[in-house]
Amino acid sequence: MKGTRKLLLILLATVIAAIFLLPLVWMISTSFKNDFEALAGQMNFIPKKPTIENYMEGLSGELMNVPIVRWITNSLSVGVIGTAIVLLIDSMAAFALARLSDLPFKRTLFAMFVASLMIPGVLTFLPMYMEFNALGLINTYSALILPYTAGAFGVFLLYQFFISFPKEIEEAARIDGANKWQIYSRILLPASVSIMVTLGIFTFMGIYNDFVWPLYATTSPEMRTITAGIALMAQGSYTQAYGKLMAMTTIATLPVLIVFILGQRSFVRAITQAGVK
Amino acid sequence: MRTSWMSRLTSALFALPYTLCFAMFLLFPIGYGLYISLHDFELLSEEHPFVGLDNYIAIFSGGTYENSVFLRGLWATAQFVLFSVPLLIAVGLGLALLVNVLPGRIRGLFRTFYFMPYAISASVMAVIWLMMFDTNAGFINSMLMKLGIDTIPWLTDTPWAWVSLIATTLWWTIGFNMIIFINALNEVPEDYYEAASIDGATVWSKFAYITLPSIRPVMLFVMITSTIASFNVYAQPYLLTRGGPGDSTKVLLMNVLDQAFIRKEIGSASAMAIIMALLIMIISVVQYRLTYGRKESGV
Repeated sequence: MKGTRKLLLILLATVIAAIFLLPLVWMISTSFKNDFEALAGQMNFIPKKPTIENYMEGLSGELMNVPIVRWITNSLSVGVIGTAIVLLIDSMAAFALARLSDLPFKRTLFAMFVASLMIPGVLTFLPMYMEFNALGLINTYSALILPYTAGAFGVFLLYQFFISFPKEIEEAARIDGANKWQIYSRILLPASVSIMVTLGIFTFMGIYNDFVWPLYATTSPEMRTITAGIALMAQGSYTQAYGKLMAMTTIATLPVLIVFILGQRSFVRAITQAGVK
Repeated sequence: MRTSWMSRLTSALFALPYTLCFAMFLLFPIGYGLYISLHDFELLSEEHPFVGLDNYIAIFSGGTYENSVFLRGLWATAQFVLFSVPLLIAVGLGLALLVNVLPGRIRGLFRTFYFMPYAISASVMAVIWLMMFDTNAGFINSMLMKLGIDTIPWLTDTPWAWVSLIATTLWWTIGFNMIIFINALNEVPEDYYEAASIDGATVWSKFAYITLPSIRPVMLFVMITSTIASFNVYAQPYLLTRGGPGDSTKVLLMNVLDQAFIRKEIGSASAMAIIMALLIMIISVVQYRLTYGRKESGV
């Protein structure tokens, strides 16, 4: 009886998993079909005439005259640089809030950062656009990076970790004559690698996958991120060129899927931390 | 005292870079948005005359263009919130319960499967589902035809457009809620269940009297975050239905951004954005109060 129930549950889980994975499998399958077959309305997962044409054209930049390699380079650079900045400034701020008792306006800063977590993004979107517009920074890499540096999530995640760090190690280092920078960079950071990786994955995926801001903050084809670029293609004259679109989405999804699968544990932990908060 | 002054300065220097970014890209935009909303802020015009609360008054006065797009957008968004949030909670919890009763060895695998779509960007999600839902060549209609069922205009007719938007939203984001529920379920003390089993409790009564009360704070968290996310819905209707058919799925955020970037009325659009943000915050507080009550919450 117990065995049958278990088997039924596994069966149910498998059916649901198939539904979840089907669109992704179909995406990859379609990316190896020519446009004719992709539009034929068939349900074959193995292409009848498999072709890598869609990929070859896409990566060579010939595909529909769209600079997809440039878009991916943009997304990867913006994601990596943005993540590096967030890790540096968030960890420094969290260190000051958690470990430096003589930080001026500590309570005020802390309260402001907490309150900011409850502010909906819609409140800052338009003024942020106008701000970058006034600074002449629309359609630059700055516009694609800087807005992500203001989020307080990372400061909190690291604050919670730093506050529980044993005080004895820090005091011992201080007696040995270590200054604050040395305590931060040589003691705290090396002990925080895993939480930093967590925040890094979370931040990278957030920037790489962001959609609305890059769509409006970039105006020329060569400045688009891959998410904004694909959205514009899907709306433009490439609607229903499914084979080619799917090759592009597959390429676009690979980096973030690799990061996701490799760092899934960390990612789950970051979500847990956010939930507990 | 010199050393202490120096020490405070170095402490401040650690917090300075983030605080600057926070001030420039979060604090300042909030104030600037308020300023813009009080002006006739035509995007392409040099002059931005002060108009007081006129932008807000226009949104609340019946018969104006602003009033009609705001209310129609709000109605579409409200429908999306009402349909999606209960499912986002129930299906998220359901998947978490399912994953947790699977044998330990395959548990992680299934968790990854259900969570995977969450890693995909909005535009990739949309392009995949445009293809799946395509009326003539889409996978789903091809399947229906094989089964001898009439094809369905998934993205171009109501109520199907809503069904499609909710289904893609569930597929895309449910993994997040599931993970939070899995963690919450794992924190319910095992003894509770054991004690209940000895008393002869059924699976259902254990769920109703132990599981649900124990995960109430997490339930509230999921409800609030899901409501906020659904209230901010944009990518799904923008890319999948383009607000259609007609403007039945044209949600509030689409109207706000159209007002800003198509009609170039940034002042009025900012006023709409501020009202929308206030609505989101009020709803969150109400949900919190309803769950915990005024006294218990101490708010």
